[in-house]
Amino acid sequence: MKRIAISVICLFSIYAFGQRKIEFTEYDLSNGIHVILHQDKSTPIVAVSVLYHVGSKNENPERTGFAHFFEHLLFEGSSNIGRGEYSEIVERNGGALNANTSQDRTYYYEILPSNQLELGLWLESERMLHAKVDNVGIETQRSVVKEEKRQRVDNQPYASFTSEMFKRMFAEHPYNWVPIGSMEHLDAAQEIDYVNFYRTFYVPQNATISIAGDIEIDQAKKWIDQYFGTIPSGQAINLYRDFENLDENNFEQKYGLSKSNFNAANFANSSDPSAQKLISSYSKMAIEIPRTTKDKSELSGLISDTIYDNIQSPAIFMGFKFPDQNHADSYALDLMNEVLSGGSSSRINKTLVEKMELATFAFSFNYGLEDAGAGIFAAIASQNIDLADIQNAFDEQINKIKNELISEEEFQKIRNQYENSLVSSNASVSGIAENLADNHVYFGNTNRVNNLLENYLKVTKEDIQRVAQKYLTLDKRVILYYLPKQ
Amino acid sequence: MKNIFLFIAFLPALAFGQIDRSQQPKPQTAATLNIKDSEVFKLSNGITVILSENHKLPRVSFDLVMNGSPSVEGEKAGVSDMFSSLILNGTTNRSKDQIDSEVDFIGASLDASENSLSMSCLTKHMDKGLDIMMDVLKNVNFPESEFERIKKLMSSQLINTKSDPDGMASNVEFKVNFPNHPFGDVMTESTLNTISRDDVIDYYKSYFTPDNCYLVIVGDITKEKASEIAKNYFESWTGQSSLESEVGKGDFHNGNQVFFVKKQGAVQSAIRITFPIDIRTGDANQIPLTVANNLLGGRGFGTRLMQNLREDKAYTYGCYSSLNVTENGSWVSMSGNFRNDVTDSAITEILYEIQRISENPVSSEELELTKSTMNGSFSRSLESPQTIARFALNVIRYNLEKDYYKNYLKKLESVDVSIVQEMAKQYLTFQNANIIVVGSEDILNNLKKFDSDGYVTILDAFGSQIEEILPADISKEELINNYLLASTSSKTIKEANKKIKKIKSVTQVSTLTNEQFPFPLSLTELWVAPNKQGRKVEAQGMVFEQFYFDGKSGKISSQGKGKDLTAEEIETYTKNEGLFPELNYQKHDITVELLGIEKVNNLPCYVLKSINDKSEKFDYFTVDGFMKIQTIEVETQDGETSESVSSYADFKEVGGIIFPHLRVLTANGMTFTGSSTYEVNGNQKIEDFMNK
Repeated sequence: MKRIAISVICLFSIYAFGQRKIEFTEYDLSNGIHVILHQDKSTPIVAVSVLYHVGSKNENPERTGFAHFFEHLLFEGSSNIGRGEYSEIVERNGGALNANTSQDRTYYYEILPSNQLELGLWLESERMLHAKVDNVGIETQRSVVKEEKRQRVDNQPYASFTSEMFKRMFAEHPYNWVPIGSMEHLDAAQEIDYVNFYRTFYVPQNATISIAGDIEIDQAKKWIDQYFGTIPSGQAINLYRDFENLDENNFEQKYGLSKSNFNAANFANSSDPSAQKLISSYSKMAIEIPRTTKDKSELSGLISDTIYDNIQSPAIFMGFKFPDQNHADSYALDLMNEVLSGGSSSRINKTLVEKMELATFAFSFNYGLEDAGAGIFAAIASQNIDLADIQNAFDEQINKIKNELISEEEFQKIRNQYENSLVSSNASVSGIAENLADNHVYFGNTNRVNNLLENYLKVTKEDIQRVAQKYLTLDKRVILYYLPKQ
Repeated sequence: MKNIFLFIAFLPALAFGQIDRSQQPKPQTAATLNIKDSEVFKLSNGITVILSENHKLPRVSFDLVMNGSPSVEGEKAGVSDMFSSLILNGTTNRSKDQIDSEVDFIGASLDASENSLSMSCLTKHMDKGLDIMMDVLKNVNFPESEFERIKKLMSSQLINTKSDPDGMASNVEFKVNFPNHPFGDVMTESTLNTISRDDVIDYYKSYFTPDNCYLVIVGDITKEKASEIAKNYFESWTGQSSLESEVGKGDFHNGNQVFFVKKQGAVQSAIRITFPIDIRTGDANQIPLTVANNLLGGRGFGTRLMQNLREDKAYTYGCYSSLNVTENGSWVSMSGNFRNDVTDSAITEILYEIQRISENPVSSEELELTKSTMNGSFSRSLESPQTIARFALNVIRYNLEKDYYKNYLKKLESVDVSIVQEMAKQYLTFQNANIIVVGSEDILNNLKKFDSDGYVTILDAFGSQIEEILPADISKEELINNYLLASTSSKTIKEANKKIKKIKSVTQVSTLTNEQFPFPLSLTELWVAPNKQGRKVEAQGMVFEQFYFDGKSGKISSQGKGKDLTAEEIETYTKNEGLFPELNYQKHDITVELLGIEKVNNLPCYVLKSINDKSEKFDYFTVDGFMKIQTIEVETQDGETSESVSSYADFKEVGGIIFPHLRVLTANGMTFTGSSTYEVNGNQKIEDFMNK
């Protein structure tokens, strides 16, 4: 009965709504920022987002957790925004803000009343131009991030499975660690490590602005030019940051010019010729952003391990190596997963949970990433059930989809399910902004948001069987057995 | 030439100075919000249909929301959960497998809760989806095999609750805020075992009925089509009258109470500081109270809890206060997860923030921030057509004024600093909170200071009390002496004994009532020094039971039949010597043991166990005051155990001795409540209790 109070609220959050075709405008600014604009005037709100193409995979293996840590740090303020005021400004103006970090990118956004678009642009330009990266903020956020890890990982049953799985699955690739990273690494890091990370990754050429909602395209472009078009390109942005942060001595030592040669109020337009020359040469100096390469390696064989956790019921997690999300096979792999685990009638639910009653929860999902992917199978055991029986039942389902074509009815079902979920994706203007940015950054094709259904409908039953045979390799996988700590 | 080239190269950079980045941009003119009216119409079987048309996407949803009042499930807690897990599992026409595959085949979703059934799909599959939905609604048959399967599944899931800190904290929150209330029903292994398939069927019949029910239709559908569907599909559904019952408002007590659930190996404590409040949906205070709560700890980073506990102290990733206002009970809950070593500091800070907001006016700056945040989230919520439908549903369901939501922003705007403080004072009191901690045992000792009695109640994962006894801080002899001093209002044992010696007999007359008894019972008890006893139970002038023990022999007679006391019984009564038999335990070799401190009705009590032949007695003496407030007697006769519980209250002096003037007696599953009068050294004699 306790759920009565919340059931009505839940009822209204089940559905998501989007648009049939998403129209958008996109272009590059001269400093390298990519801009995507989508107009939807049905509600007077706007989502302003900036995606930085940096995630945990770009971290130094001795400094893991940095990308996620920056997501926290960059709410600390900027040269023009006081400490802790980021959120206050947004909330005071009727907006909401947040950010998230994955292995591949860090994403910041505000959802604002549409008459506050300029405010959103100002806030994000401050973050890109001259955020506060200093010890005060680092100390506060270090503790907050540790609490986040305790809450989300250490104190949650089974929550360590991603890090345990990835550690074994990606021995040679930075997906080896997960975004939350190592608290020891964050403790060991010095202010200069943080400053360097900002100077390398938080630069115009690494950013995509995506805006969706009740906007006038021309006005939006004008403001974007003013707030972002004017951000120095190449290394000039770091020259500017040094001009703001270094004292006279250090600045002159580093650049051979006095700060007084520069115009503080109008830095880029400093009248002194030597200053202009320096700015010009630095803006032509591209920033080397270290990139990772795709992980095409295979697992050497069966890797299995037992993890003792604060849990009540044993569980099993199996991982197969999948190709990166941009690989041609990824559409077929998604549909294969739908057969196995999409909806109550899916094969895994029907067999492991309902017919055999081996597991209280059993499912599979595809973990698609930029450099590689993973197919994860997971089940939490019912009382007095041996994990070996669950593993056998999973293997039976895997062998079945490898050895037999799926039925025509199942095929039609998963196509219908995908049509429904694609219509319902792009739920809100904030979802649209994020999807547009992701498609540009990961697939180099923003319009992919409009071609998804078409791509899925091209997949045949034979494709599904082929990818199952190719990637669900029983002799090459990771198996983790989770058992209760005694 | 070179200069010109430079100039051109710098063109974009030139604009760098054109905006003043030190100034926050000003907003443009705000757009006006437009909340569309929903269509509302009634069907002949009692369903109210609410339609919110929106053609942006080719999707449509149908939500049936029942309106019966929830009722207490008690020892069958979880019937409603079983019901919602079973309603989609079979009809007289379709097996669960068929339902699942037909729903999935059209990419629809079909969901149920204990008071709703919903279906959504692409508009083109609407008829097929409705067919399945109506089959479930009208022909659900709760197959026996599915009932057994779900029961097993739930049993496994209950075990997993024990490793989920937030799940455990929620269980306790509902139980302590809402005892004997539907919200306080928490399923456990033992309640699950008492639930039968018939209970689930009864639940369905009582709660799933068109009477006073709502059908909310949202999406890509015209009014004509919606009304046609409502009539064709839903109007033929029949059922009994919907349940109307009053449930309480929750447990309002004085003094903060601490509840603890142990989670092995926890690295963080899940904390809830929570209490019920007296407000219902649509109350005029709801909007201003929401402002006060949000300022304290609503969503967002700028709230007091967030600023203090996360941004300033970095104790946590997030700390929030949630206000839950419903028709059937309302409560506030401040929550967060904190690392072990700051658990008590976090509680201190949260209590401080609750106190601060009720004692001092908030700044107008914070108030504006909170109002703007609420204004913003209200406006953003209008993006979803479901919101518009929910507004219409709430207006009808909770009898709100017609323009409640259209005037929402206006009402929000009018909330000022003094109203916020008034709301905080009225509702966010901080002396009657339930402080719930789920975490490592290491922190337990730091929690006592938050409890007004200094006693932490230990609960299990489902909020049920674990019989936990704390060690006593005095010896049993000290306890008995203190009891004696307190009962005689004496300063020394000598003085007490002197007073007791003067008492030769005590007559106690109690009038006892029980709901199932049409008339009150009169119970007369006599004690004559040193160990004589008489007892008589009468009603309406008739004697039901009579008993005496004259020091040597005795007899118990009930409804005309008499039985002499056995030798064993005589020995027991002989040993039961004195107005305070506790004083003679040693003399008679009665085994007595001070078990420790346990809570009775939230009062910490010393528990004294004594064994007199076949009877085990547990006496409970308050830690502060040494009054005996409860006696539990467990008697074993021929392998059968019977238990009786007597509770005492309203202690007053008669003839120099403090006697309880209120008693509650529970035996054989019946409870009698009544008041007592006493006479010291009166005229009654043991002979008065012997058969004439």
